[in-house]
Amino acid sequence: MMHHLGSMEKQLRRLGLLLATVAMLLSGHLAVAADFSGGDVGFFEKVAGSVDFLNDESYEKPTSEVKVSDPIEPFNRAMFVVNDKFYIWLLEPVATGYSKVLPADIRTCIGNFFYNLGEPVRSVNCLLQGRFRDAGSTLGRFLINSIFGVFGLADPAGDEFSIAPRYASFGETLSVWGVGDGFYLVVPLLGPSTLRDFSGTVVDGVASATYAPWNDDTVTTATVQGTKVVNRASLHLGEYVEIKSMTFDSYVAFRNGYYQMRSKQYDHSQPSK
Amino acid sequence: MQRTASISSFFLASLIVLLLVLSSHGAVAASPDPTEQLRPFLDKVTTTLSEPGLKGKSRREQSDKMISVIRERFDFREMSKRVLGQQWRNLADQEQTEFERLFTQLLQYAYVGKIDDYSGQQIQYIQQRVKGERAEVQTLLVDKTKSIPISYIMLLRNDQWMIYDVVVEGVSLIRNYMEQFSEILRKDGYPGLVKQLKDKIAELEKNINKS
Repeated sequence: MMHHLGSMEKQLRRLGLLLATVAMLLSGHLAVAADFSGGDVGFFEKVAGSVDFLNDESYEKPTSEVKVSDPIEPFNRAMFVVNDKFYIWLLEPVATGYSKVLPADIRTCIGNFFYNLGEPVRSVNCLLQGRFRDAGSTLGRFLINSIFGVFGLADPAGDEFSIAPRYASFGETLSVWGVGDGFYLVVPLLGPSTLRDFSGTVVDGVASATYAPWNDDTVTTATVQGTKVVNRASLHLGEYVEIKSMTFDSYVAFRNGYYQMRSKQYDHSQPSK
Repeated sequence: MQRTASISSFFLASLIVLLLVLSSHGAVAASPDPTEQLRPFLDKVTTTLSEPGLKGKSRREQSDKMISVIRERFDFREMSKRVLGQQWRNLADQEQTEFERLFTQLLQYAYVGKIDDYSGQQIQYIQQRVKGERAEVQTLLVDKTKSIPISYIMLLRNDQWMIYDVVVEGVSLIRNYMEQFSEILRKDGYPGLVKQLKDKIAELEKNINKS
């Protein structure tokens, strides 16, 4: 018991330290941001690139230009099959059982909790991308939701203060810095990505592990990660199979969907919610 | 006295001229508003989906009923044209008509399963963008646990904004099929695409008749 309390104290101290660091970084950068006034829009968004649906050209591009770089397609297709089987045979049945035990509101809260834990990493990524206002909003969301939303189970920042969540990842940061996608990559158990974005995901994962309250032993970490995955799947039951049934070549359809969805995530010219 | 009368008649005349100018200006600029046209249409769709009798009907009756409502504001010819890209121009008139029929049927059968998913979700209108004869209306489909961003991409035809693409969470339906179709066209040509369309429709139709 004593030991337990001690480790919890240690974790809390670590969290506090992280918060202080981020706050310090942020206050320093906010002063810089004031000089840039309006630096949130413009250059950085253009680099990230977005699609204008009202532009006819985007529908008329010859196939060769639309085609994405996929030099390891045979490997990716194999991994796509692995993930497909993993999802249909294991993840979805488990998530279905889980959804019968826990009502939807509780699962939404658990989803909020995990999302909230990612906010500090998102805030730092916003800073690294020069999105100072978004960095502040994201940190604000983290503080409000951690305190008034009971460790992030609820989202008062979004519901009461109308601070919408901002997307940010290290993959996006790399793209803002001019790093190219490399090529399309289907990661086992994780799904569609690119070489650059998967590297980003690893960095984000390591960064959030430094302050996650459960990084002490492998079993706990694995259980928590598993819960996160199952919880998310339980909120989207049946969607994968249904989308797949509408496709002709589901590998191509999901690859295209991944790139389209990502270009929306990287486009901050319009509010995300 | 006479002076006052002339002044007041002058003002009256100016007012009339001003009103005339304003109204004629209004008439010239009166391109219909995309959201104002989309709203009653989506209301009709959700009302039809909520009709108590609908869920008791067979899948086939449901999908026939929905497609008749959907057709009012979806331009399936424009969708077909865009999903094929440059290939569309190489097709004979008859082939274009056949492709349009097949693609419409594909969407009709692919989306019939969605009818059961509707349980009173609300539609929120976020904003619209108009660029010449194209418009995008951004909406949110909101239910208890999540809200899904859906954009309708529309084209102005004879004063009517017609939908030719639907973008769900950033993924355009047309662009997604476009990439799949272009792969098929590259490998098997247009006849191969028609064959695959027919096979897919038959497969979806089998599921429809089963339930």
